[in-house]
Amino acid sequence: MIHALEARHAPVVSLWVWYHVGGRNEVPGTTGMSHFLEHMLFKGTPAHPKGDLDRLLARYGAQWNAFTNEDVTCYFETVPRDRYDVALGLEADRMRNALISSEEVEAERTVIVSEREGYENDPSFLLGESLQAVAFDRHPYGQGVIGSKFEIKLMTRDGLYAHYRKHYAPNNAYVVVVGDDRAEALVDKAAAAFAAVRPEELIAPPLAPEPPQMGEKRLVVRRAGGALPIVQIGFHTAAASDPRAAALQALAVALAGGGGGDAASGRSSRLYRGLVEKELATEVDASFGLTKDPFLFTLEATVRPGVTHRAVEEALLAELQRLADEPIDEVEFARVRRGLLASVAFPSDTITWRAFRLGSLLSSGAAPSIGAWYDALARVTPDDVRGAARDTFVERARTVGHFIPEAS
Amino acid sequence: MIDASRRTQRNGLRVAAVPIAGLRSVSVLLAMEAGQFFEPSGRPGVARLTAQGMLRGTARRDARAWADALDGLGASARLDVGAHAAVFSGQCLADDLAAFIDLIAETVVTPALAPEALEFVRSHALADFEEAKKDTRSVADKAWRELTYPAGHPFRTRSIGDEEVVRTATIDEIRAHHRNGIHPAGSVLVLAGALDADRAFEVAERAFGGWSGVDRLNRLIGPVVLDGARRRAVVVPDKTQADIVLGWPGLPRTDPRFTAAQVTNMVFAADTFASRAGQVVRDELGLAYYVFSTISGTAAQGPWMVRMGVNPENVERAIAVTFTELKKIRDGAIADDDLALARDKLVGELEVGRESPTGVAGMVLEAELFHLGDDHLYRYPRELRAVTKDAVVRIARELLPIDRYALAIAGPDIPPAR
Repeated sequence: MIHALEARHAPVVSLWVWYHVGGRNEVPGTTGMSHFLEHMLFKGTPAHPKGDLDRLLARYGAQWNAFTNEDVTCYFETVPRDRYDVALGLEADRMRNALISSEEVEAERTVIVSEREGYENDPSFLLGESLQAVAFDRHPYGQGVIGSKFEIKLMTRDGLYAHYRKHYAPNNAYVVVVGDDRAEALVDKAAAAFAAVRPEELIAPPLAPEPPQMGEKRLVVRRAGGALPIVQIGFHTAAASDPRAAALQALAVALAGGGGGDAASGRSSRLYRGLVEKELATEVDASFGLTKDPFLFTLEATVRPGVTHRAVEEALLAELQRLADEPIDEVEFARVRRGLLASVAFPSDTITWRAFRLGSLLSSGAAPSIGAWYDALARVTPDDVRGAARDTFVERARTVGHFIPEAS
Repeated sequence: MIDASRRTQRNGLRVAAVPIAGLRSVSVLLAMEAGQFFEPSGRPGVARLTAQGMLRGTARRDARAWADALDGLGASARLDVGAHAAVFSGQCLADDLAAFIDLIAETVVTPALAPEALEFVRSHALADFEEAKKDTRSVADKAWRELTYPAGHPFRTRSIGDEEVVRTATIDEIRAHHRNGIHPAGSVLVLAGALDADRAFEVAERAFGGWSGVDRLNRLIGPVVLDGARRRAVVVPDKTQADIVLGWPGLPRTDPRFTAAQVTNMVFAADTFASRAGQVVRDELGLAYYVFSTISGTAAQGPWMVRMGVNPENVERAIAVTFTELKKIRDGAIADDDLALARDKLVGELEVGRESPTGVAGMVLEAELFHLGDDHLYRYPRELRAVTKDAVVRIARELLPIDRYALAIAGPDIPPAR
């Protein structure tokens, strides 16, 4: 399937290829395989030996990269308009012809271990990874994406190649392209580029649905490698295709705005006022991710020195309860709505991000177009937000994690 | 090409507007010469405290009402202190441009800077210091600066400053820095996106026309020359990865060699995939997930840093091969294709950067801030393409000596240097 949007404000085209394979397609023992494979697709094909792709795209000043999440693996190139054909040729080639040699697997293994070790330096990642594992009993979302270091070290070339042949095919992928040409022309060129790539017989893996959580779960992570304590709370919530998804996005904006860190925006949000202004936390965040299956609505607060985890957790839960109990007044809702719609409009003015936004809506099943998603957000009412809070912030569906820095 | 219109207000504020058809939003950058370079000598951290304090309410509305006004527009906004400038950056919907510019002007020109605002931002900054002590990238950066720059130099600390200065700064000091550092002369406002240039100039004139201030101070900073190889390893317990900063004092953005330095940087280490160090350290040897280098654009010798994140066992090897690649460049062993790739990439990035209003605004801002000329963005691709191998070798020999550098490593139990 190929989706295209015309964007004429710069002589640029952004091409994204999304494969329906991610952490959800892995089993214990091979966690991180989809992400490892993503790295191997930069290691050459018979037509484009290792390094060719990097140098070719670099020469055009391209932005190009890839990422893997729980649901998908995605590759993109943003290139000058007249290099669109080159980007298409590279993607069509590596869809089926990646070499994935044993030598390159060994060389890349240490890079991926290094990537993981970089994440491990971040206490928020450590706590989040553990919380995700505790929150899910059966669904592979509990395994995360990058995989355990031990399993990365055990990954075999043959296993990776089999994973590649099984999941990388035109009938398990879709293309999103946004750029400086007519949409029909962008589609036609993409269709021609991928026309010769043969489909694969797809076998949908059995996927364990997550049974309802029957009570609060708690966990603690202790490390010396962090300075400030952290509280994270994850609530089981709806998938992106759920009719409540737009209201859940609005709920996240009401709680934490769209800012974070040193941003000036988002300071009228509930959690900023309830925790940061009251000097309980230095930072707060709330997020609802667009995922194929029901995932987590997550909240995070970095605890100020001298404040306890308990005080922050209680303040967080009180703010959540308030949103579930009391309707948002018109003035506050107008701010939330404005921030919500801006969160679609601003990234859409950048060609790369417009393509990403469309792809993520399609991959998760949230909406068939950016316009449809915008309309869904615009239709959210204060009652919808309150209803989403009531449905989501339930004691039995939550997992609470504390990061406790230890003396070094 | 990027088509910017320019006006200079009577108070000295320079305004550039770039209409881009087909967009719904406007990116706004207001750069004030109030970055680290302009910070009061010996008081690092005052500039950032002042900037953060400015976001805590104005003469007209308190912090809560100010936040309500900003979020009511749905605008994104932040105020960061960099090596050269304090930059207010944001994005708003086209219909809100006038209201957003008014709010920025109110914030910049008439901040309340109340004592309680200072205490609030001070407590946050002190928490940031605590976090930075356990963050290997921050620890390596801090150590590198201390090895490179002498006491009193504006770049001896990161923009967060010195913990003791932040702990003791007074509200009078913050207000004085605002009075002396935040003024229209030397400031640049760039607007790019869904706008009409004439209307944008009117909006800017109405918002900032009454802004006045003292003439900006010229700060004289002596040259920085490393006298040898300086190295420091800092243990940060319970981490799995070591972060490395290898670097040299760079060159001012206005130095005529800066364009050649950017090409040199690209050949050497700027990009994990397109540069020599990245290719060898990551792609050939698999020693690191990230390797990149940057040159700071400022009025003095900002940092020219190579950064890597590696397993502690690989620290020495990663450093050694990086030096090997640098030595090749200094010896003139640069493949024609590597040089062409570096030039092409830098030129191509200018074109691809036009996809975003913020990217466009950033390019225009750099040219305005450092007085690179109204035709800079037209000339720049040609100037990049004109950089020769000899120029790259000369830059590497002059500015990246292999016997005079600073090297900082932060991580767990780093094996001793062999």
